[in-house]
Amino acid sequence: MTYDFEAMLQTIKDKQWSLADIDWDAPGAETMTDELRAKMRPFMADLVWIEHVGARGFASLATKAPTPVVKEIYEYFHAEEQKHANAELALMKRWGMLDEDGQMPEPNINVKMAIKVLDTYGDNLPLTGLAALIPLLECALDGALVKFLLDEVSDPVCHEVFRHINSDEARHITVDFQVLELIGAGPLHKTLIESASLLHPQVVLGLIVVFVPLINKMRDNIVAMGLSEQKLYNAVKRYSSIGGRGEFTRRLPAYHVLRTQASMVINRSHPYHRFLADPLVKVTSFVPARLLGRPQAWVDEVTHEPIAS
Amino acid sequence: MRIVDGEGWRDVDLDGLRVGVWMPAAEAVRIVPAVTARARSVKVFQDAPVWVAPVPVRIPTVARLHLRLTVRDTWTRRLLTPGRFGGRDVIVSRSYYRALQRSNCKLITWPVYAVVTQGVRTAEGIEHRVDVLITPDPVRKALAA
Repeated sequence: MTYDFEAMLQTIKDKQWSLADIDWDAPGAETMTDELRAKMRPFMADLVWIEHVGARGFASLATKAPTPVVKEIYEYFHAEEQKHANAELALMKRWGMLDEDGQMPEPNINVKMAIKVLDTYGDNLPLTGLAALIPLLECALDGALVKFLLDEVSDPVCHEVFRHINSDEARHITVDFQVLELIGAGPLHKTLIESASLLHPQVVLGLIVVFVPLINKMRDNIVAMGLSEQKLYNAVKRYSSIGGRGEFTRRLPAYHVLRTQASMVINRSHPYHRFLADPLVKVTSFVPARLLGRPQAWVDEVTHEPIAS
Repeated sequence: MRIVDGEGWRDVDLDGLRVGVWMPAAEAVRIVPAVTARARSVKVFQDAPVWVAPVPVRIPTVARLHLRLTVRDTWTRRLLTPGRFGGRDVIVSRSYYRALQRSNCKLITWPVYAVVTQGVRTAEGIEHRVDVLITPDPVRKALAA
């Protein structure tokens, strides 16, 4: 049976929420101790940037959507990821994690490189590649990072915000995998041609040099903060099991490549780390940010203000 | 917030007001230049972009060139480029892109999901406050109901 994307679009429209629905001054901010604030600040900054860059990924997906309804769903998801970044920035403000001017924390060099790659190649990447990558990142975000945050922080406003975010993310993951099914159900030769077009040397190199160290750096930072590796393992297992449940997703080479890479990322003793990821983290730390030029204007769109006059 | 229909705005004194324009792009192209010249600030809520050319032509290439030459910011150009499910019609305007780039005008492409008493809520979670919302008559009537 084919999936009803129209019904999902209607649900997405019905479930919209706004930062203005949240009482950002409600009691609970005092539960953020100085020690916890210092520990969580870099985590929250990474989280805001993951959502913000993820939003840009959906913007690219929208240009590639197989049908007008899926395109509209992706446009909502683009906005919702931005909303998550806005809400998480508002939490950072509530907890006194922002500077006096309330600016977004500066991204690290690996995030800056990811932004550059998305600006340069994002809209030209084949649908299968991006469509397989995004649910993996969302499984990791939803299954590991957010669970970690909610275990660490008891502020009720944070829990209220993440009830909304988790409900959005559940719909994102459902649609992501249904789109993989839709692509996988297409003619095999089309899938293979699209997958082969991912193999342009500049695309493969760009993805390796940018995303391998980006993900490894975040992985190590977050594990050092106390995230259990079991949570990461569960997140990747979820990606494999949902994808494996589908009838057609397993026909997509991009899904298998990413599943394999993800299982190497979570296993710290795998040679992937010693021979590829760790050296790349080191090398990219020497890349001067000014080489990358100014990012496109979407990076300045994040705001913690619920109301814009 | 006052809601006026696509034509009714001409009878409203927009001086010093914050105005939202939530119209199909083909109609927004016609009215945004005049609205930005009068209002204090304008937010253009765009559902889907259309091709715009300075002269009456039916060729999107001319419109594409017009966009490239008139809008300097790469991301804004992307937001103004119709996608593959967009229409092929070309709307004539020499001043729309210039109006959008005025300092008192902001293009918003996030989906609008609600109109509330003081403004418009879009799916990036922000409420955009305006004094006047210009929207097509059927939408205005639906909101009034």
